[in-house]
Amino acid sequence: MHLAFEATPGGVTVLHLRRQDPPWRVVRAFATQSGEALVHLHNVSGGVLSGDRLDLRATLSAGARVQVTTTGATRVYRRRAGSVEARGSVHFALGEGSLLEFLPDSLIPFRSSLYTQTTTMDLAQGATLFWWETLAPGREASGEVFGFEQLRIDTEIRATGKPIAIDRSMLNPLSRPLDSAARLGACRYLGTLYICRAGEPAATWQRMEDRLNCIASRLMEGEDGVRWGISPLICDGVVVRGVAPCSLPVTSGLREFWQAARLLLTGEAATPPRKVY
Amino acid sequence: MAGGYLTVVGLEPFFHAWLEETGALEAAWCRQAAEIRSIAEWIGLNQAISAMKLAREAREASATLGRRFLELTVALTGDPALRERAAAGCEVHLAAAFGCTGRALEAAPEIAAAAYLHQSLASLISACQRLLPLGQRQASQLLWRLKPAILAVAGNAEATCFVPALEIASMRHPLLSTRLFIS
Repeated sequence: MHLAFEATPGGVTVLHLRRQDPPWRVVRAFATQSGEALVHLHNVSGGVLSGDRLDLRATLSAGARVQVTTTGATRVYRRRAGSVEARGSVHFALGEGSLLEFLPDSLIPFRSSLYTQTTTMDLAQGATLFWWETLAPGREASGEVFGFEQLRIDTEIRATGKPIAIDRSMLNPLSRPLDSAARLGACRYLGTLYICRAGEPAATWQRMEDRLNCIASRLMEGEDGVRWGISPLICDGVVVRGVAPCSLPVTSGLREFWQAARLLLTGEAATPPRKVY
Repeated sequence: MAGGYLTVVGLEPFFHAWLEETGALEAAWCRQAAEIRSIAEWIGLNQAISAMKLAREAREASATLGRRFLELTVALTGDPALRERAAAGCEVHLAAAFGCTGRALEAAPEIAAAAYLHQSLASLISACQRLLPLGQRQASQLLWRLKPAILAVAGNAEATCFVPALEIASMRHPLLSTRLFIS
């Protein structure tokens, strides 16, 4: 799928659907209250299947304002015997002064799945990014916890060509137990939020870190096992990372951090995607 | 673990996991630093390390220790390649400084990586002796038992790392009111 978002002289962002191959599907863009073009990514096959190669590319022109979410969790099905791993790649190129809120639902790797997810974000000068990811342990309600074969997550964010955040994670629960104190400990859910703007002064990120740490301390009070950490990146951004024994503290926490960060960085209130929370 | 905290009994499996994750990544950086030739590659490697160390305190500590280590080895050896890397104008991370120093001393990259992991682990175990009821004999035996894991990781080509619990703890470390060291 290839999406192109363009800011019009009237200040409205329009979507140009350059390419859309099954199983990807986008119906159209909606306008949010805060002026972004809201797009729901839909995988009509119901999930990521053994051997799938899914590629999403999106470009935002200068000044474009976009919110991208999914219609549901990304479910990664088990690898069929003899089949290769499934791969998903996402690349966003943000033009000068553009704004992207990439807010997908959770990634749920099913038992015996084998999946590699690669995400890259390229920010031009003044481009703003809010991007969260949530990782679930599996179909927990069915007793499936960390039963996947392998999950590899490769992430890179570049601001004006310079890498500011890189994550290369390889999860092999069967050979490297995820309940190790060095990995997830007693927690099962992981959430990450990146807040970036290329060229933003360091003082902004200091204020952001202080504000978000206040929220983190409050969210951890009385919540057994929930842990949140905030850190400025090498430049141009802040990362929020959290772990919890169940999903709700992570998903609700990420929303609260995003809303506070959006207000602090843009002066505008966040508009949650059209979902039931 | 007891109540979410490490105990002496849990140290060995903890350090095994640490070696498989953080240790493997640091060893990969050490080997890369030993093998790269150009200054552009050197700068690129250190920029990538900075981007991968998401926790600010750990990133800054690595860069401070790396710069000091490289300055020391330049002063001791006068090696022109080390001098060139020290003058490159970029952050210098400890694993990278260790790797290029190993090369200057004609140590094989895997040997330099193993030495780096050994000294890193020894430092961590030493800190555990201050924080936990871990005696000197136990500490020495622990480090001895981890040596095969060090060697296995030192030759590992995979530069990946998944330690969210440690990362979050590192992010929260600057907020602690009680610290082990003054720095």
